[in-house]
Formats: sequence, C-alpha cells, structure tokens
Amino acid sequence: MNMPLMNTATKLTTNRWVRIGIGIAIAALLIVMPLISSKFVNYQLSLMAVFAVAILGLNIVMGYTGQVSLGQSAFLGLGAYIAAYGVTEGWPIPLIFILCAVVPAVVGLVVALAAARLRGLALAMVTIALPIIGIPLAKRFREFTGGAQGTTVSWLRTPEWAEGFLENDQWRYYIVVIIAALMFLLARNLVRGRMGRAFRIVKENEAVAISIGISPYRYKVLAFTIASLFGGVAGFLYLGVVQYTSPETMSFHTSINMVAAMVIGGSASILGTIFAAIYFVLVPNLANEIDPSLTALFSGAILLAVLFLVPGGVVSLPRRIAQVVRSLGRRGGSTDGPPAAPLSPSDRALAPDTTTPKSTEMNNTEKNNRKRQGQ
Amino acid sequence: MEYFIQLVIEGLATGSIYGALALAIVLVNRATGLINFAQGGMAVLSTFVAYALVNAGAPLALAILGAVVFAFVLGAVLERVIVRPFERGDPDTAVVVTIGLFVLLGGISAFFFGYEPRQFPSFFGLETFNLGGVFVSLRSIGTIIVLAIVVVLLQLLFRGTKLGLAMRAVADNPVSASLSGLPVSRLLMVGWGLASVLGVIAGVLVAPQLFVSPGMLDFVLVYALAAAILGGLDSPLGAVVAAWFIGVVENLAGAYIDIIGNDLKIAVPFLVMIIILIVRPQGLFGRKVVVRV
Repeated sequence: MNMPLMNTATKLTTNRWVRIGIGIAIAALLIVMPLISSKFVNYQLSLMAVFAVAILGLNIVMGYTGQVSLGQSAFLGLGAYIAAYGVTEGWPIPLIFILCAVVPAVVGLVVALAAARLRGLALAMVTIALPIIGIPLAKRFREFTGGAQGTTVSWLRTPEWAEGFLENDQWRYYIVVIIAALMFLLARNLVRGRMGRAFRIVKENEAVAISIGISPYRYKVLAFTIASLFGGVAGFLYLGVVQYTSPETMSFHTSINMVAAMVIGGSASILGTIFAAIYFVLVPNLANEIDPSLTALFSGAILLAVLFLVPGGVVSLPRRIAQVVRSLGRRGGSTDGPPAAPLSPSDRALAPDTTTPKSTEMNNTEKNNRKRQGQ
Repeated sequence: MEYFIQLVIEGLATGSIYGALALAIVLVNRATGLINFAQGGMAVLSTFVAYALVNAGAPLALAILGAVVFAFVLGAVLERVIVRPFERGDPDTAVVVTIGLFVLLGGISAFFFGYEPRQFPSFFGLETFNLGGVFVSLRSIGTIIVLAIVVVLLQLLFRGTKLGLAMRAVADNPVSASLSGLPVSRLLMVGWGLASVLGVIAGVLVAPQLFVSPGMLDFVLVYALAAAILGGLDSPLGAVVAAWFIGVVENLAGAYIDIIGNDLKIAVPFLVMIIILIVRPQGLFGRKVVVRV
C-alpha cells in the first residue's frame, strides 16, 4: 500500500547528496529569511535560536543522560546577567562571551558535584531549587543586577561597515544564529562521539555503565556542566536579542516550559531540539493571539497529547505514522507489505529512544495494537 | 524570648501548610512510586471550586466539603485516565507527565477564573490572643491543629482499617496484592483521591493569606516537595517533621540573620535541603533504596 512510497522516502533522506542538498537549502533559507522579514518576525526567529541553545543543553543532561533538570532557566538568567554587567562596564564582547560560558559552567559543576550523588527525583528537586534561590539573590544584589526592575542595555548594534544594508535586528539575528549553529555542531559531535555513548549507557543502566568502566557520577557531572555552559551561552544570546533581563528570566516556569518543549520536540534528538525551540516561542504566541488565558491550557494539553500519542516527540512523528499505518494495514488483512525499512545508523544515533521501544507507553501502545489485531 | 516563640509558632503554621501538601506527595509516591508535580495544580483547582461555591452563597463549611468531594473525584479520575499508562514505567517520563498535568490544571483554573487573585474567607477568623506576652493568631493555631488532626486520621486509616491495610499492601507489592484478590486499580484511585483531598486542605488553609489564583500554590508546592524529599519520600511522619522544620528555619533565619532578611529567607530551606541530601541522600527518615541489576 503505502509501504513502497515510505521506503522511497526513507531512501531519499538517507542519500548523502540529498542530505547535503537539504542542508544547503536550509542554510540559504536561514540567510535570506531576515532580509525579507519584518522586525517582529526576525525577533521571534532570533528568540528561537536563543532557546534552541538553552533547550539543547537541557537535552544533553535530560534527554541523553536521563537526569531530570528543572534548573536550566537559572543558568540562562545567570548568563544574561553576566552579559548585562559586562556590557554596562564596557568589557570587550569576546571576553563577555567567554565569561557567559565559563561562569555558569563552573556554577553548574559545583552544583553537580553535590547533586549528581542523588538519584532521579532528588536531583529534580535540587535543580528546581536553583531558580528559586536565584531570583531572590538577583533581587538582593541590586548593584550587579538592577534589582527587581532588571537591567536594560543597548549593544550588538550593526557595526559601521554594515550600516548601509543591515538593520540592528538583522545583525543580531545573524550573530545569534551563527553562534547557535556552532553550539549545535558542538553538541552533535559530543553526543555522537565517545561521550555521547557514555551518556546513553548511564541513562540506560548505571550498573552496566560501572561494569564496563564508565563512572556514572563523572558523566552525570559532565553532562550537567555542559548543560549549564549551554544555558549560559543562551543567556548571552538572550541579552543580545532582548537587550533586557530581569529576575523573571530565571523563573522556574521557564524551566518547566523548556522541559515540556524538549519532550514535545523530541527527547535525545538534535533535530527535535530545533522543533522544541520553535514550539517554545511559537505556541505561546499563537495561543496569545486567540486568548491569553488559554496559553497554559494549550501547552499542558499539547504536552500530554504528545506523551500519549507520540512519546518520541514531534521528531519521531513520521516513524510513528508509518508504525500506525502498518498496524492498520496488517489489521486489514494485507500481510504482503515488506518489513519496516531499516533505519540508517545516523538516524539511530540521533534518536536512540524512538528506535528501542523501552518506555512503557510504547509497550502499551504495542500491546493495544496487538489486542486490536487479535479482535 | 516572646518574639522567638511567636516566630516559631508562625513557622509551624506555615510549615503545617507545606506539610499537608507534602503528605499528599508522600501518599502518591508510596502508592504509585511517582512524584506528582501536579499536586499543587489539583489543589488550586479544588480550592477554586470552594471559592465558586462560597460565591454562589453556600456557607463556608459546606463549600469546603464540596471542594473536598471534588478533589477526591479529581484525583481518582486523573490517576485512572492520565497517569495510569505511565506508572511503573520510566520514572522520567512519568515526571514529565505530572509536569504536563501541572501546566494543564493551571491552564484550566486560569481559563475559568482568570489570573487575578481573589479573596477567600478564613475558616478561623482573624483574632489574635495573648498567651503570657506571646501573640498568636487563631489562624496559626487552627492550621497547626488541622494538620495534627489530619496526621492522626491518616494513621488511623492506615493502621486501623481494612482499606488502609489494603492500600499499604498495594504500595508494598502491587503484584502480590492483586494476586490475593485486592482491587489494585480502585485502591490506586483511592490513594490519589486521598492525596488530592490533602492538597485541597492545604489550599483552603492558605487561601485567606495568599488569595486564590492559579499560581497561588506554586511556591508552597516547591516547599512541600522539599519537605517530602527531606523527610524521605516514603515517610509521612518524616514529611511533616521536615515541613515544620522548613517553616521554622525559614522564619527564624529571616528574622535573626541580618544578611538573609525577608527577601532571601526563601533560599534558606533549600540550602539546608541540599546540605542534608548530600550527607543523607535518602532523606532524614527515608529507607535506603537498593537498586538490583
């Protein structure tokens, strides 16, 4: 039925040249987009890049390493505050960038050295404490943070040589997107390499990790530190786009929404992180258009729907649809369909969760399917 | 000295509110092995039901009773419909499910009642009385007494009734419990219903102070989670003691340590929590969990 078509599609996406072509097309789109869009659209696109970096960090610690973190917004806020302080003091921008990456990473390292001793839920608890401690701290140290009003800055303006053809919002977009792209490249190499495999074993089974000489403690600390570093860089980018930060940036609601977005986009998936960032920025906007009091209702309902229907997140949607179509087809009596197309190794590396039906909801849906077939 | 005692009593009163919600979290954790981040959202929605009933002209006691019934049904239904498929699975996914519920319930409250804080009448009036120089409000004493009664009732339920015994059996080993003929599914629903009732008790107690709004219990929930974890997630007594401890420490640190003051006092219990967890990862009263390969 649909199977031959599906197979052609899979073959197409695994073909090297097709992949490179898609990559070039996306890059071209990213370059042209700000030139033809309104200021508002550019602002939203830049915000997506900002939160993509923050959620990418979250995905490394939570999606790949399996450690629930509800504190990512604290590192975002810390990065933004460091950038704001650096800008008001007139420090050189490269120095600010380095500090925005290093200081949150060090803070994250110290927290993780303590917190990684704990398991699952206790770790979630310690991390949720970070934004809750961070907000009153930010309000208290007024001389650094501007207190409850926050700090407004004006920086990352179009340099003189580009003044004729680039507006501020376009210049900022390019800066933010380039840094975000570099962070994504870094993350991709990290999770595909030795370290990424170690993360996945720690997530899968700590005892197994120990038995093959991988220290779960060390890798948890490492994952958390990397996540904090990404959070700090996202904070730098955030200040670049928004030009303002306040204690609200750290709010634990931001953390919770980032976790929700990450799961909706696709846990343990680089591509899913991009969907997550688009969701994070776009859906509250759309919901606001309809009715501001509906925003939370929508996000909650969408998150639960995703967990029930596509546990692997949006990124696993095509595979999930194929799965459902196949089981429907089998129920209809046609058994001549070829077995599922083997996934390309790179796909498997990107989304280990979706290829192994290890989580219960997957098993449950399978059971349900089997039940349906039996009828 | 009088001031000190006053601070301690007020700390115990706020601690009692954290304690009610912490008990709910412990109850759910014992029954289903989950941490329910939606506990606060369930409590807020139920408190809004009490608010709506009061506004419709019902006497306060009746409104609270109505909210308690609503909370029980809400808890039982949510367990059966939304949480059940994720129980005993990957705990990280389950946490995200309850986070989704938390956001959704907040959204439902906001949709029906908006974000504006609304006043709620107090069950205990506003009088304060003087006990040998110590000024205590009726509300503080009332809150502490209510929590004490709740703890005693829970103990009676779990130690003295067949229902309690059955619920303990399910918490201990659901497979054996179901093999010996216990209706595990229904007992789990009862467990969630009871936890939800504890939540609405916390909600109604704190509503006159904080006003009713969708986010009113966010911070209480975080404190309650801290108390539950600090006390050890499987110990109701531990949760209450830890909640009282948090309430008192927060109050005293805010009043006596200058550098902390009123705005930083929220950080104190969390610093204490982190330190205690590092020394005793299983919490003060918890059992050490051994993971088998």
